[in-house]
Amino acid sequence: MTFTLLAPATGEEAVAALLAAGPGELAVLAGGTDLLPDIDEGRTAPRRVLSLRRLPWRELNWTSTELEVGALVPLASLERNAELRRRMPGLFEAVGAVGGLALRHRATLGGNLVRASPVSDLIPILLALEARVGLYGAQGERELPLEEFLQSPRRTSLAPGELLRRVRIPARPCAFRWQRVRPANDISQLAVAVAYDPLGGDWRVATAGVAPLARRAPGAEAALHGVAPSDAEIRACADVAAHEAPVRADRRATDPYRRLLLRALVARAVRAVRDRPLESSS
Amino acid sequence: MIRADAPLKVRGGVEFGVDLETPGMLHAVLVRSPVAHGQMRALHLEEARRSPGVVCAVSHAELAALLPAGSGDPERPVFPQEEVMYHGQPVAAIAAHTLAEARRAAKLVKVAIDPLPLWGDIESIYPEWPGSDEGNSPRINAHVHARFGEVDRILERSREVLREKYRTSGIVQMALEPHACLAHVTGGHWRVTTSTQSPYGVREDAASILGLPEERIVVEASWVGGGFGGKAAALLEPYALVLSAAADRPVKLQLSYAEEVELSRSTLPAVIRIESALRDGRIAARRVRLLLDSGASLPGRDFATGYAIGFIAGPYQIDAVELEGYAVRTNKPPFGPHRAPFVPQCAFAAESHTDGLARLAGMDPIAFRERHGLRERGLTPLGQQVGPFGLHAGLARAREMSAVWRAELPAGTGIGVAVGFWSTGSSAGGEIQIRLGPTGLVLETVEAEIGSGSVVRGLVVVASRSLGLPPEAIRVERTDTARGPMDSGVYGSRTTAALGRAIQEAALRLLEELARRVPGPDELKLDWTGAQVRVRRGPHSVELATVLTEAERLGGGIATQGRHYGRTGEIDSGRVLAGSFYGYGDFIGAVQLAAVDVDRETGRVRVLRYAAFQDAGRVVDAATYRAQVEGGVAMGLGEALTEETRWDAEGRIENAGLLDYRVPTLLEVPPIHVEAIEGFPGAGPDGAKGGGEPPVIPVPGAVANAVCDATGARVREMPLTPERVARALKLI
Repeated sequence: MTFTLLAPATGEEAVAALLAAGPGELAVLAGGTDLLPDIDEGRTAPRRVLSLRRLPWRELNWTSTELEVGALVPLASLERNAELRRRMPGLFEAVGAVGGLALRHRATLGGNLVRASPVSDLIPILLALEARVGLYGAQGERELPLEEFLQSPRRTSLAPGELLRRVRIPARPCAFRWQRVRPANDISQLAVAVAYDPLGGDWRVATAGVAPLARRAPGAEAALHGVAPSDAEIRACADVAAHEAPVRADRRATDPYRRLLLRALVARAVRAVRDRPLESSS
Repeated sequence: MIRADAPLKVRGGVEFGVDLETPGMLHAVLVRSPVAHGQMRALHLEEARRSPGVVCAVSHAELAALLPAGSGDPERPVFPQEEVMYHGQPVAAIAAHTLAEARRAAKLVKVAIDPLPLWGDIESIYPEWPGSDEGNSPRINAHVHARFGEVDRILERSREVLREKYRTSGIVQMALEPHACLAHVTGGHWRVTTSTQSPYGVREDAASILGLPEERIVVEASWVGGGFGGKAAALLEPYALVLSAAADRPVKLQLSYAEEVELSRSTLPAVIRIESALRDGRIAARRVRLLLDSGASLPGRDFATGYAIGFIAGPYQIDAVELEGYAVRTNKPPFGPHRAPFVPQCAFAAESHTDGLARLAGMDPIAFRERHGLRERGLTPLGQQVGPFGLHAGLARAREMSAVWRAELPAGTGIGVAVGFWSTGSSAGGEIQIRLGPTGLVLETVEAEIGSGSVVRGLVVVASRSLGLPPEAIRVERTDTARGPMDSGVYGSRTTAALGRAIQEAALRLLEELARRVPGPDELKLDWTGAQVRVRRGPHSVELATVLTEAERLGGGIATQGRHYGRTGEIDSGRVLAGSFYGYGDFIGAVQLAAVDVDRETGRVRVLRYAAFQDAGRVVDAATYRAQVEGGVAMGLGEALTEETRWDAEGRIENAGLLDYRVPTLLEVPPIHVEAIEGFPGAGPDGAKGGGEPPVIPVPGAVANAVCDATGARVREMPLTPERVARALKLI
C-alpha cells in the first residue's frame, strides 16, 4: 500500500489540501488507531493521507463552566488530568474505558468523534454532557451540538473541507457505566452515561450499544426531577430506558440481556450522580 | 536465578517463527474456502498467477508434479480434491515476492463450490443420544464405552439421583506467536524451520501428508512463542513445502490472528450428560455420556474421546461407573490438542455435578471430595491403579485456605473448590545427547523452548543436579531432525519429566566414562571455575581438557546419550465395551479454590482470589513451576469466563481475531496463590511429575462452583459469560 503523506502546519493549509482532493482520494490521519488498520486490511485505499500531527490543536483548558479539548488531544492526556477525574468522573471513566493504554496514547478525542462509531464509549458521555463541537473550514469556525454533528454510524455533518477543531464540554456532574464480556480491549455490550445540569435542574441520559448509534433517552430523562431523585423515580427512569430503547441483538448480547443491562446500568449511573461526594460537584 | 532466555527475549534477541527471514524468500498466503461444506466444481488460478509479484500458485491439481509419490496421502490431502470439509479450509496457496502481492493475488482466485448439507451443531445432529445403530454411521468418528459395577440398577433404584446436562464451547490455543514457518526445498531436500512443539512430530506428519519418506524431510524448530498443544503437529509446513518445491525458492508462511481462530486444531463443542446416585452421603454410581464435536477429524483418528473420557468421572473412588462417548464428524476444523485436551471441560461438568451432590448430601464440598477422592493404590474408572497421589494433601490445604478466605472476604463472596487429575505424558519417548567440553556442558536436543521454561530451565536444572555443575556451566543447543536425537515433543507435561530422565541416564554414563579416565579411590566430582570444567577426586583435580582424546577436543567434548521410553499404564480391558481408551501413567492431582464476586443484577463474575494446590511429585525448579501453574490458571480463567469459538448458521466462525475471541488480559487475572504438594513421587527425575497441564483443568469448575456458592445458581454451560450467568440467575 502506497500513498502520499501530507502534513500541513496550519489549519488553512490542511483545509486547502482537503478541498483540493477528489472524493474518496484523501483520508485524514489523527491518531490513526482506526485508519491504519483499515489501510492495512485493505478496507480503504486512499491515494493521499492528510496527517494532522503538526497542527497545534491540543488545548486542554478549564473554565469555571466547561472544558475545552483540542481535537488532537490524545485520550491518555485526558486520563492523566486530575481535574477531569475530580470534576467529571463519568467522562474520566469513559476515557479510561477506550481500548487499552497503548491505544489511548495514540487515539484522539477528535478522531473518536469523527469516526462516529456505533460502539464508541465516548459518544454517550459527551451526549449526556451536551458537548458542542467546533468545526474548522475555509470560512472560519462554526459550532454545533454534538447531537447534530453525529448523523448516523460513520457519518457526521462535517462539510467538505471541514475538520473537527475542538470539543467544548460543560463541566457537570456525570457518571458512566458500561459492561463488556472482557473488561479490557473489548467492545461494550452496553454503555450508559448520565449527567445532571444544575442550572436547569435537568438530567441527561444517553446510551450506546442499543441503537445503531449512541443516543439520548428522552423518556428516561423526563422521569427524573431535581438534584436528588428518589429511588422510585430512578427505578421508573431505568424501566423507561429499558422499554423505550430500540435494542438490537448482535453477537455481543441478545435483546433481553441488553434491556436487563440497560435497566441496571441506568439506575446505577443516576444513583452515582445523585450520591456523588460533595467535592466532585461543581 | 535468571532464566537463560530471559535477557535475550527482553531485548528482542531471539528469532521466533514469525521472525524467520532468508534472502530471496517468498511470502505465502492460503486461499481458503468460503463455504463450510461443499463440492469443488472449479478452481481457477490463472488470474492470480498473472498478478504482479506472484511466483507460483498451487492447488490439488499441481501436487502430482511436485510430490515424488503423486499427490500425497489421499486420506489427508494437502488441498481438497473434491469435498471441502470446513469453512476456511485451504484450497490453494500462493507465493509472491511480498505479502501484499500474495494477498492481492489470493483475492483473484476463482473457486466454485457447490454447497452440501451442513453438519454443524452436534445437538442438531443428535438432539438426544446416538442410537445403537449409529456406531457405523459416517457421522461418527469414534465410539468408546466402558463400564463396571451395576450402574443401571443403582441409578434406577436410588431415590436420590442427580441428572444434569452440561455444554462446553470450542476454544483455540491463541499463542501470542501465530503459527509460522519457513520452508526451503532444494536438491531433493525438504527442509522447514518452524515454530513447533515437536520437530519429529511435524516430520512424521508432513511426510505422511506429502507421501514422502521421513528421512527426506528435515525439520528444525525456531524459538516458539507459546504452543499450548496447537503446535504439536504439522499445520502450515506442508503448504510451505509444496510452494517452495514449486517456486524453487524459500517460502515463508504465517497465520494472522484471525486465521489462528479459523484454522487451529483445538477443542470443539461438546455436550456432557452426567448422572449420579447418592446413597448415605456417598456416590453409589455415576454415568457420564459425552457427545463431542470432533470436526473434520478422520474416522478412527479421533483421539479426544478415548483420551479425555478417562478423566471425565473425576478422581473419585466410585463403585459403579459407566463412561460412554461419541465423537461426531462435523464441518469444523479437525479436533486437536489444547493444553490438557478437553479435560478442563470434563472437569467443569464433573466438578459442577459433584458440587451439586455435596449440596444434596448436605455436606461441605471439600469434605465430600475427601470422602470420595482417590488415594494411592485406588482404582480409576478404567481400572488403573493410582500411584503416589497428592490429592488429599491438596484438599487438606484447600480446606484451611478456604476458612481463611471466608473470614477475610465480605459476605456474599462465593468460594468454589474443584479438583482434577492428569497424567504425566512420560510414555512419549525421548532421547538426548549431552556433551561435556572444557568450558561447559551442552544439552543437544531438537526441542525449542516454547515459553514454559521446561527446556532452558527444567532440563538445565536436572543436568545441573545430575552432574554437580552450576546452571551457568550448561547450555542448550538446538539441532534439527537430521542430526538431533529423537524426541516426541514439548507437550503432555512431559518435557522435564521424560527428557530429564534421559539426561540423568546420559549423565550417569558420562560420569562412568570420566571415572575410567580419572581413576582414584575418592568419589568423582565435577568443578566449575567460572570458565573451565575440572574433574576432581579427593585432593586430585585435573582440567577436563587434559582427559579428552584428540577427536573429542575437535568435537567439543565427551558425548553420551540418554533415553527414556516410559510405559503406558494398563487399563482393565474387562471394563471396556467398545472403542479404545488411553492408558495413562503417573497420575497427578490438582485442587483449586476460586473466590468470586457475582453482580446479581447483570451476571458479571469477577474472580477475586485464586489458589492452586498441585501434586508436584518433586519440584525441579520453584520459579518455573510457579510460573507454569499461574499461567495455567490464567488460561483456565479465559476458558471459564470469556473464550469460545462461535459458528453461524452457515458454519462460519463469527469471532475470528483477538477482539472477539476473548483471551483474558491481566486485568481479569487475580492474585494466584500457588502451592506445590510434594512427597507423592512421580516417574520424572527425583520423583518429579508434570506441571504444565494440571493447573488449567480445575479452573472452569472452580469458578462455576464459586458462582453457585455466591448465588445458588448453577451455570451448566461454559464459558460463564455475564449473559449465561444472568440466565442462570433467572434475570432474563
